[in-house]
Parts: sequence; C-alpha cells; structure tokens
Amino acid sequence: MKVTGERDFQAPLATVWQVLNDPSRMAKTMPGVESFDIQDDRHWRAHVKIPLGLGGLRMSIDFEKTEEREPEFAKLHAKGNGVGAIMNMDTAFHLSEAEGGTHMKWEADVHVLGPVASMGQRVLQPIVNQQVSHVLGALDKQVQEASAE
Amino acid sequence: MTETTVTPERALVVEEGGEPQRGFIGQNVPRKEDKRLVQGEGVFFDDIKRHEMGFVHFVRSPYAHARIKSVDVSKALELDGVYGTLTGDEVAILTDPFFELSTPPGANIKDYALAVGKVRHVGDPVAAVVARTRELARDASELVEVEYEPLAIVLDGEEALKDDVVLHDDAGSNTVWSGLFDWGDFDAALAEADHVVRIERLHFDRFSSTPLECSGCLVEYNRGTGQWTIHGNHQMPGVGAIWMAPALRVGIDKLRFVSQDIGGGFGNKITLHPQFTACCLLARKLNRPVQWTEWRTDQHTANTHGNERTFLDVTVPVKADGTMLGFSVRAIDDCGAFPRYEPLGCIIWAQVTPGCYRWRNVRVDFTQVCTNKSPVAPNRGYSRMQHLWLTERIVDIVSSELGLDPIEVRKKNYVKHEEFPYETPNGCIYDSGDYARCLDIALELIGYDSIDEKRRDAESRGKLFGIGIGSTLDSGTNNFGQSMILNPELQFSGNNEVATAKLDIFGEIVVTLGTVPQGQGHETTTAQVVADLLGCTPDDVNVRAGHDSYWNSHAGFSGTYASQFAVTGLGAVKGATEKLAGEMKQLAAAVFGCSPDDIELAEGQARIKENPEAALPFMALGAILNANNAGLPPELDITLNVRYVYRPPFEKPDLERKYGNLTLTYATQIHACALEIDPETGEYEIVDYAAVDDCGNRIHPQIVEGQVHGATAQALGAATHEIFAYDEEGNLLTPNFYDYHVPHALDMPPLKNGFIESASPFTPFGAKGMGEGGGAGIHAVCAALQNALGRRGVGPIVWRSCNPYHRVWELLQSPEETRKLVSVESR
Repeated sequence: MKVTGERDFQAPLATVWQVLNDPSRMAKTMPGVESFDIQDDRHWRAHVKIPLGLGGLRMSIDFEKTEEREPEFAKLHAKGNGVGAIMNMDTAFHLSEAEGGTHMKWEADVHVLGPVASMGQRVLQPIVNQQVSHVLGALDKQVQEASAE
Repeated sequence: MTETTVTPERALVVEEGGEPQRGFIGQNVPRKEDKRLVQGEGVFFDDIKRHEMGFVHFVRSPYAHARIKSVDVSKALELDGVYGTLTGDEVAILTDPFFELSTPPGANIKDYALAVGKVRHVGDPVAAVVARTRELARDASELVEVEYEPLAIVLDGEEALKDDVVLHDDAGSNTVWSGLFDWGDFDAALAEADHVVRIERLHFDRFSSTPLECSGCLVEYNRGTGQWTIHGNHQMPGVGAIWMAPALRVGIDKLRFVSQDIGGGFGNKITLHPQFTACCLLARKLNRPVQWTEWRTDQHTANTHGNERTFLDVTVPVKADGTMLGFSVRAIDDCGAFPRYEPLGCIIWAQVTPGCYRWRNVRVDFTQVCTNKSPVAPNRGYSRMQHLWLTERIVDIVSSELGLDPIEVRKKNYVKHEEFPYETPNGCIYDSGDYARCLDIALELIGYDSIDEKRRDAESRGKLFGIGIGSTLDSGTNNFGQSMILNPELQFSGNNEVATAKLDIFGEIVVTLGTVPQGQGHETTTAQVVADLLGCTPDDVNVRAGHDSYWNSHAGFSGTYASQFAVTGLGAVKGATEKLAGEMKQLAAAVFGCSPDDIELAEGQARIKENPEAALPFMALGAILNANNAGLPPELDITLNVRYVYRPPFEKPDLERKYGNLTLTYATQIHACALEIDPETGEYEIVDYAAVDDCGNRIHPQIVEGQVHGATAQALGAATHEIFAYDEEGNLLTPNFYDYHVPHALDMPPLKNGFIESASPFTPFGAKGMGEGGGAGIHAVCAALQNALGRRGVGPIVWRSCNPYHRVWELLQSPEETRKLVSVESR
C-alpha cells in the first residue's frame, strides 16, 4: 500500500529537519506509543498499540534510518511484529524551503502481512489514512513547540 | 411430538419380477436424522470431550513464500497451561512425506503435516501449540517466534508456468502434471467447419464451499495398542488412512476413524490428512487426547479451495446450421501450494468431456501448476464444474457471435434421448437422460413464452434484461482407474462401498454403512431400501448413525463424495440386505421343514407363501439363531450377520488413448435464469430461476430437492459473489464471512424446481448420484449476463465465472476490453 502527501509547516527548514530526526520528538507523533527505546542515532524501537477495530494491535517496531541528506531528505525503514501482523514500511521525506516556512513531500510504502492484512484494503486504507492524519497533526504540534523553544 | 418416522401411505409401486409391489423407495418418509438434529442432540466431533484433553492451535505463516530460518517455541512453553508444541523439524523426523499421486515433477513434491524448511502460502502451518483451553492455545501460539526469510512469490497460474519462482525445490518446477488429451479428429473438424469461433481467454475463479461445521478432530492415542482413535469429520476416511498410515509409519488398522454427525463436507474435508496427522503426533507426544477445531478464518485461509482454472485459445469449429463439431483448448489449473488430492482434477473433468453435447472431436492440453495460494481440494462439482462452465460458455459465446438462438443451438447439439446409453469420444458412457425435455420444462417454469414481454417491461424501467441456460451433468460413482491415466504406476481402479446387516436377538434389524454422511440422509434412504427388501417398515430398521472403521463396514474407497451414495452406498445396503434375507429364509425353511424358496418376508415375518399363517416373526428368527440354536441342522451355515461389498462394473481405462468409462452415472441439471441489470451501477437481480434435475429414480424426492436447492445456492454464490481474492503479497482478502459473501436465504431468488426420472440402466435402483450438481447455476447466470449485455458482435464478453456487480459495471464501461477476446472466421 503506497501513501503519499505534502504538508506545509510555518517553521524554518532547519527546525522541521531537527524534529523529523529527533527520535524522542517523533515518538510523540506516533499513535499509541507505549514505550520508545533509542538504540543509537540511526536505530530506534517503539512498542505501540495501534487502534484497530475492537481491540488494539500491539506491535514492536524497529526503525532504521537508511539514508540521509541533511537538511532535505531522509529515508527510514521500519519493521514491525505484532499479534496477527507483520509490517514492513519504507518511508521518505523531502524538505524544501517555501514561502513562510517549509514544504514537505513524503511517501510511504507499507506492506502488511498476516491476518490483519487479510482485512483488506477497504478496511486498512481508512485506518492508515486516519493514522497518517494523526501523525501529521502531531508533527505540526512538535514543529510548533520546537519553534517556540 | 411424533417420533421421527411414521409409516407413510405406500403410494409408489415398484415392479419386481413382474409382480406389483408396494414400497417405501420413492416416498418422502420422515428423515430418521432430523429429530436429533433439530433438537440439538446431534453429536459432532467438537461435542466429544475427554478428561485432561488439550486444544490444538496451529501457528500459521504470514508470508506467502519464505524460508523458515528458525522456530522458537520456548516462550509459549513457559506459559502456564500450555501442554506442548510440535514443529516442522519434529514432523520431518517422525513422519514420511505424504505420498503424491502425480508423476514427476509433481511426484517429487514433499508435503508434510507442518511446513518443513519453507512456507508456501499465507496460513501454511509452521508449528502447533497444545494448551488447556482453545483460547489459551491461540494466545500461546503468538509467543512462538518464527524467523522467516521472505522469498519472491507467484500467484498466477500462467506466471507459475515460467518457473521464475519455484515453490518446491525438490520438484524443480511448479508444474504438477501436464498432458494432452486428443479424441476424435479435431484437425479434420476444423477443416470441415463453416465458421471457426476463437475465444482467447476464459477464467474460472477460485471459490469454495463453506460447511457450517469447520474441520476438526479429537484424537486419542492408546499407548498399549499403538492405535489412534480419530473422532473427526473427514469425509473420506478410507483414503485418509491411506495417506496417513504410511506417513506415520504404521498399518491402516492403527487409525480408527469415527464420526456420527458432520455439518457439511462438500469435499473440503477430503484432504484433512495433514492436520489430522499433526494431531496424531501431538496426542502421542503429549500422552493426552488433543482436539483441533478449525477457526473459520483458518478454514478460508488455509484449508482448501476449489480449483481455479484458466482456459486459453479456445477454438470451436461450427457448421452453418449451428452444429458444433468439437473444441480445442489449453487449460491451466492452479492447485495452490500443494497438490494434496491433485492431480486427480487433471482427469476428473474428462468424465464430462463433451458436456451435454454430441461433440466428437475434442483436444485439451491440460497443465496443473502450484502457486503461493491455499491448496485446493475436491469441491462440490470437483473439476467437472470448471470444465462444464467452459462447455457452456462455448455454446453461448458461439451462439451470440453467430447470431444463433442459444436454446436452439443447445437442442441441436444435445445428446438425444434415443441415443442413450451414449458413448462419449473418450469412452465414458452416459447412462440415460433427456436433456431437451429438461430444457423445455425449465423454460416453461420461467415462462419463456412471454420472455419478450418481460424484456420490454424491464427495459421500460431502464433495466437490461437477460436470460441464460446452464446445462450440466453430475457424474457420479468414480472409476478410480482414471488415476492411472495420470500416473500408470498408481494401483487404484474401480470403486467399492460396504454395508453390514444383521438380525439381532430381539429381532432388531441393524445396518451399518461404510459411508460418512454429512447431512445427506443416509440413515433414512437406507431404511427405505432395507424395509422394501425385508418386508417391514423403515421404523423397524436401525441404521447406525455415522461411521466407525471399527464396525468393519468400510473399504478402501469408503466415504461420502463423488455423488455416489445412491449407487455405491445403497448398492452395498441392497447386497447386504439380500444376503440377510436369504439367510432369514434359510432359517425359516429349516424351522418349517420346507424349501427357502417357499418362504417370503412380509409384514415383519418370515412365512410360507402358500400358508401365511405359518409365520415366524423376525424376533423369533433372531432369537432362534442367536440364543436358542440347539437342534438346528449342522449344515445350516448362516450367521444373520452379513457384510457385503458393492463393486460398480468398471474396467481399467485404456491408458494409451486416455479412454474408458470413468464414472457410472450421469445426473442432469438444466437451469434457467432471468435477470435484470441496472446499467448505471452494474447491480443485478435474478428475477426468475428454474432448476430441473434428472437423477434417475429418486429414492427420497424431498432429499433430492434439498440437494438441488443447496447446489443451486452454491452455484449462485459462486456466480455472483464468492471469490477467494488475494492481494499482491499473497494475503487472502476474503478470509471470513465479512468479506466472503455466501448467499443467505434472503439472497436466494424465487426458485422453481422441476424433475424427470430417467432410470439408470447400470445401477441397483435405477438411481444416480446427484449431490454435486451445482455448476449449472454458475453458467446460467453468466449466460443471462451475456444475453443482457451483448448481442452479435457488440457488447462485452462475460469471460469470468464470478461476476460481482463491480465486474459487471466494468464490463459495461469498457466492452471493447473483453470483446477483443473473441473472433470469428467464416468461410
């Protein structure tokens, strides 16, 4: 499943870059994070509970920053294991200066395996869209906080 | 409430030896099974519990294709209440692979009870966990850590042929079996034709039956005798044992199969040997009974599906008057990750090679391949359904393209009533039938005379109206010799079924069956036959419910499958009952001092024909032989406890020509469907539907009608909604009833039933098997859609078997996309 989008932040490019590359700030943007371990500056692990239907999908996700061109491009690989699901995600973002702030183009290629995947696109797609919306909203907040600091 | 059976009015007259005789055969006697079933007193395998039993849950692969790098069960074993586990590595040590039916490369496939080394479809079981409760076992299975190395996958049959991705390294190819079938002279037919219609591609979608009761078993292991008792719902335990015993390295007698009631089978429950074998290993390893009850999602994801088949390069030579001379086709059958019961599907279709038609020249290039999807297994209408859908699509597409009336084309090309018994180009013998008459009845039922009026009415409401016919055959009673056409090394031919009958001490007539009923009413129809042969009522006949291989009433092919109970099952019952009747007459004759020929059985007595007052009730006969036998003549060699094996009259096929009588009976289904399509959305409604069945003499008409209703519902589901769809990762997208829509009662159209009875000349009661005849409905819907959507040279071609509304909408939006699949060469 591929999801893409664009977003404008009213903050300097350097600030947005800093937020996006700060695992502790990024942890606050992810839905249902129960714990977050920073192994080094390229590897993180998150334990999350993704809201899904009646229960929640608990998943342990390992992140690895695979590519970086400061201050405009970064690429992450995430591999998650959970009850009834395995998730592989490659995500990339491109930052550029825009009028009054920063413009971000992002894309993610999400592969979900296991019974959860069998729920089908029509169920998963709205959930993914909803979660992406939450992440972007939270990211906006983090950028605002970072700008205020 | 009355008891389950009451004596009905004896309306039917059965001719026997020229003497008119009233009988129960042919009557709707109350079903013996119904009382316990409607009162919830049936006993299904999941009702059976044992002290200290454990519950099995299979850990399944989330990958469609991956190497198994490691399996770690330690965390699961630490959980309180977990009794033990089983992994693929253990299975590889403790068992041999199940034997394969194919020749190489398919013969080299190694199939175990659990995945060994690799997983090959989403849901492939890699380990099993046994725990105190079913839920705990499921939770514990999540603690099993499996490390996979994902591999490239192949989901499409045609792609699989390229072997770019190979599922089974031991085989070295995805091809399970391939072969050319060439009967008649197709090239001469092509030269003789006035028109040649070519269809580039047709596709029969993957779907399956969904029994109310999922699969499962409770397995006990007796350490003293080394025997497993399997209370399960395997519907063909004779063959199940043939698979399991060698794999477990034991004799057949070490596997005792028991079932009483089964909640539907439809073929899914023929290939349960991997799961049952895993349960046998667990019961032995843990020294406790274990029960596995399949979850519905697992049933959809990883049990078995029906065969998916693509037909390529269909070529049909046609005469100017609409006479079809035959066809040629390249068929690619996708059997999923493991062949299991395959490649039998590569020959089973040949039982109905020309469908209902007098086509003499047929060439089929057939290949079966593995893909990273759930394995397939026989599914109601197994393999013939796909082929008959092809023959019917041929008739309708050819008719449409040449501007001919499909009804007239059918009547012109049908095998004629007076031609029966009819030998097909590949040596099968169609026993009896009258297809044209059945079609007339179906047309009358849907009011075909006023069809133009109905079309105008629909069009006035903005709807597209279509009518379609489906003509299929339900071939029953397999000649397993057809397996030798695929693999001459196999030692299977003919068929058999067993029944025992005895007269017990208090005069009870007790019958056991080798069959494994799943709702077909075997107890009832058996009692009808026995009552007629012994001169008593069905109430007097005790038919033991279900199947137990300890009863000694089973044989190598015992089971309930392939539309054959009315022939093999009741043939065995007839044979056993006649043997018993003969012994009862011998005993009565010894008591009366007369000849057995002077004795008749009637009204629950053995009596002298010329002096009916000289009579011994059955109770007296049972008591004399079993408990009061001093003084009986020593030469009276009887037991009143007999066993009979029915063997259908089969020969081994001619392997060179792929020729022979592959099955014994041919029931007919002619369905007619009228539907209306909303051209804006593609949504359609079946507004009228008729199903006409001819299964020879009907033993119990109500049971026949029930089967017709069920088969029709199955077909309409397959035609309109039911598809096992996969995403590009190999995830099944329809793994439960939320996504996989089986017709509900309210989804069913008004269903009109008709019948004729063309007695089979080859079977004990003139009856034919008829439990699988659902394919006609799939085609009737496709034909009606075609009729509504397109006319000669215009409009889309219905090229898939399942057409949900969105596909119909797509056909409406881009008719040229499918139109290019068909071409006509006129000379």
